[in-house]
Amino acid sequence: MRTMRLLVLGFAILTFLVACGKKPTQEIESTQGALNAVASEGLGKYAPEDEKKLKDALALAMEEIKIQDNKTFKSYDKAKQMLAEVKKSTEEMKAALPAKKEQAKQNALGAQGSAKEAFNEAKSLLAKAPAGKGTAADIQALKGDVKGLEDSLAEVQALIEKEEYGEAVTKANALKEKASGVTNQVNEALKKAKAGKPGKK
Amino acid sequence: MKLLKRQRQENLGKSKAGLSNGVTGGSSILKPMVTSAFLLLLLSSLGCFNEKPVPPEVSLVQVQEADLWRAEAPLYLPDQYADYKEHLTLAQKNLLKTNAQFRWFRDYKAVQAEFLQLLNQGEELSKKLRVEKEEKAKSIFDQMESLKERLRIFTQLTLMLHEGGPSRSSLTKAGVALNEAVILLKENRLLASEQKLAEVEMAIMETEEAMLFVLGRYQNSHLISKWKEWAQETIEKSKERDIYSILIIKSEKKLILFKKGKAVNAYPIGLGKKGWLKKRYAKDHATPEGKYRIIGKNPRSRFYKALLINYPNEHDRREFQDAQEKGRLLKKAGIGGLIEIHGGGKGNLTEGCIALDNGPMEEIYNVVGTGTPVTIVGALDEQNSISSALQEMQRTHGQKKTP
Repeated sequence: MRTMRLLVLGFAILTFLVACGKKPTQEIESTQGALNAVASEGLGKYAPEDEKKLKDALALAMEEIKIQDNKTFKSYDKAKQMLAEVKKSTEEMKAALPAKKEQAKQNALGAQGSAKEAFNEAKSLLAKAPAGKGTAADIQALKGDVKGLEDSLAEVQALIEKEEYGEAVTKANALKEKASGVTNQVNEALKKAKAGKPGKK
Repeated sequence: MKLLKRQRQENLGKSKAGLSNGVTGGSSILKPMVTSAFLLLLLSSLGCFNEKPVPPEVSLVQVQEADLWRAEAPLYLPDQYADYKEHLTLAQKNLLKTNAQFRWFRDYKAVQAEFLQLLNQGEELSKKLRVEKEEKAKSIFDQMESLKERLRIFTQLTLMLHEGGPSRSSLTKAGVALNEAVILLKENRLLASEQKLAEVEMAIMETEEAMLFVLGRYQNSHLISKWKEWAQETIEKSKERDIYSILIIKSEKKLILFKKGKAVNAYPIGLGKKGWLKKRYAKDHATPEGKYRIIGKNPRSRFYKALLINYPNEHDRREFQDAQEKGRLLKKAGIGGLIEIHGGGKGNLTEGCIALDNGPMEEIYNVVGTGTPVTIVGALDEQNSISSALQEMQRTHGQKKTP
């Protein structure tokens, strides 16, 4: 009778231990799924460090699971806790992502606006420039420059459409600088033209 | 009666003893269990109070790894970083294993040693990374300066050649890309900056190829010899016949007036948008090259005064026909004509004519007549303004061969 009781008790303990040691497959899938989803939404582009932290934390949780897999008496409690933390952070980052994206977009649109302004200034100044004696060649060359600026401006727009906001900002700022240079050259050509006019020397 | 009483007392005593024995028997099992539980609780509590802390090296390595990643170690030193990461994964695994052990048996010595080793490895990696990035930044800076110089030369060349078309536009786009590279370098994004420079290099090379194809003629010694012969013949003719003759040198943008074989005066001129090219067909904006003569004088030209030359001459017609027969020109293409030396200002862009300021035009118009030889050449010296610009361009590019 006593042996029987011990056996029942042992079986109960074993059942309890096995129940505790069930691999958290569902939690793994759910966390990985959440992380993949937020990565595909562009977390790496807008918050690369956050994405790295999440990936590292997930890898660590997976290591913990591997360690438990190799044990006789498995306990996945810690791994579950780690996975839950990763998932929680992933969800927080997912919630914060649209705001980051919007901020990046606004930055790109702002830079594009400034670049467009600088381009329009160069273009309108060139349109007013008299392509007459002494300036025709310069004006002709500057027309080529403005065409180049226009092409680059279209590239900025293409980058924004592709949601490559960081690159769009860099190109727009570079374009703005170049457009200012072209404006200065147009002004030089205008000065040259004025100096060439009789009675205005 | 006394016997019965004694028996009762005995029974009572037995039952008491029995009860007492029962109690004493249970106590003999429970006592060690309670004691053990108490001891376990005590040791466990002691364990709690004396829990061994995770070595500080663990968090230091975490910070170090994040710094290395942020500094783009995976991109600059991929193999070394992969090795470091492999060691880190192993160390983390061992840390997890140690953490998974029962509190009393945890020993972090091995883990600590591993993380300490990782710190040293990471430090080495960080040093190498710094050197690598410094070298890369220097190389990018040098490349940037070289490309800036090439862009400057090209921009000057296009201005000199009145190139307002695709070349100039490409150079502007290259200029924007160069600015991007500068911005990225300032942001310490070296690899992105390097990538932009490759774009600049490509755009410059494309423009260079196109320009060399067109302007390589000004470095061609065989062609320059032929031009020299034409010029010499024109001067000789002026000397022999005691007449005026005109020599136009495109590369120098100069018209030289000769009388009796001697240069009387030289005047700056303007050419067309494609004046550096040899005229091949109508509306190509190129200026002809060859030996011509004045066939008409227009005192009331819309470009002040004008001297019409006999383009196309026989040689031009033969070349044009040959080009059409060999499919180098469309059958419907025209050969063009009405090439003049006219006034209106040397700064004007012509459609293939030679433009002068009105003062010099007046001087020339007054002394030349129909039949005056007019020779138009590309250059008279291998060291001309275009070949020099091309040489400078080639020098900055590392001696690119001309076609």
